[in-house]
Amino acid sequence: MGRWGIAHIFASFNNIIITVTDLTGAETIARCSGGMVTKSAKDEGAPYTAMKVAQAVSEAVREKGIDRVNVKIRGQGGNKQGTPGRGAQAAIRALVRSGLRIGKIEDVTPLPHDGCRKKGGRRGRRI
Amino acid sequence: MKYLKIPMERIGVLIGHNGETKKDLEERSGMKINIDSKLGEIVIDDHEVEDPLMVIKIENIIKAISRGFSPQNAIQLMNDDADFFVFNLYDYVGKKEAQVKRLKSRVIGREGRTKRVLEELTDSKVSVYGHTVSVISDIVRMNILKKSIDMLLTGSRHATIYRFVETQMREFRRAERYGL
Repeated sequence: MGRWGIAHIFASFNNIIITVTDLTGAETIARCSGGMVTKSAKDEGAPYTAMKVAQAVSEAVREKGIDRVNVKIRGQGGNKQGTPGRGAQAAIRALVRSGLRIGKIEDVTPLPHDGCRKKGGRRGRRI
Repeated sequence: MKYLKIPMERIGVLIGHNGETKKDLEERSGMKINIDSKLGEIVIDDHEVEDPLMVIKIENIIKAISRGFSPQNAIQLMNDDADFFVFNLYDYVGKKEAQVKRLKSRVIGREGRTKRVLEELTDSKVSVYGHTVSVISDIVRMNILKKSIDMLLTGSRHATIYRFVETQMREFRRAERYGL
């Protein structure tokens, strides 16, 4: 039987990074990001890229004997956009389809308890 | 477990006539949705759910309903490649009521023309509610729609936006045809 791991999915609007670690989260087993599978910068955050990233990761991971993962998804967070980007759903779906068993899914986007002021100034974003 | 908070006036919509909408959502997702109608708090019980993506979808649907979409439109988010996005008008003009009102009317247009044109051209749904503009669309068209609404909110002329959306959609359709 395979072991458990944690898949950390960071999905912003412009990129996606998936890191699979062991259960302690200290030991990285595989990592892949948008730029590693696509050439053009504008595609790095696209759902199709997310799928490819997830496939690459799951292949690397299964070679090393992990076939079940807990998932932690994370958007940009802080004082930026709070929800994970559009790549997150596609990535999870691709992980499932490539044969990894998914345990828990958790949203770990860092949320401010009213922290720093948002970018843009008093009168908002202007051009 | 997932916790959400929605405006009081949208709770009735989320529950529906005799609890219809809530029941429908629960049946489709296989989850228990707990609504506190005095505080506007919602608890989603996601134990015993097989599809791991369902929680995200349900959360999006509830958020969409709370942002002014009707349940019929929000349920489109069950679709795998549907996406939901919220623009916060405070990020564009700050908190002055007159400014927020100005932006809202820019997005809606005279007798709803701008909003209707955007919806029809990109085949998606736009809702203007409170200090937000939210959109439901499929992932590819979302890019075009997002960009055009961003242009509207930062002050481009309406004619520019109509032209932009039209050319982008034409390009998108051509790409789709050659892709297939």
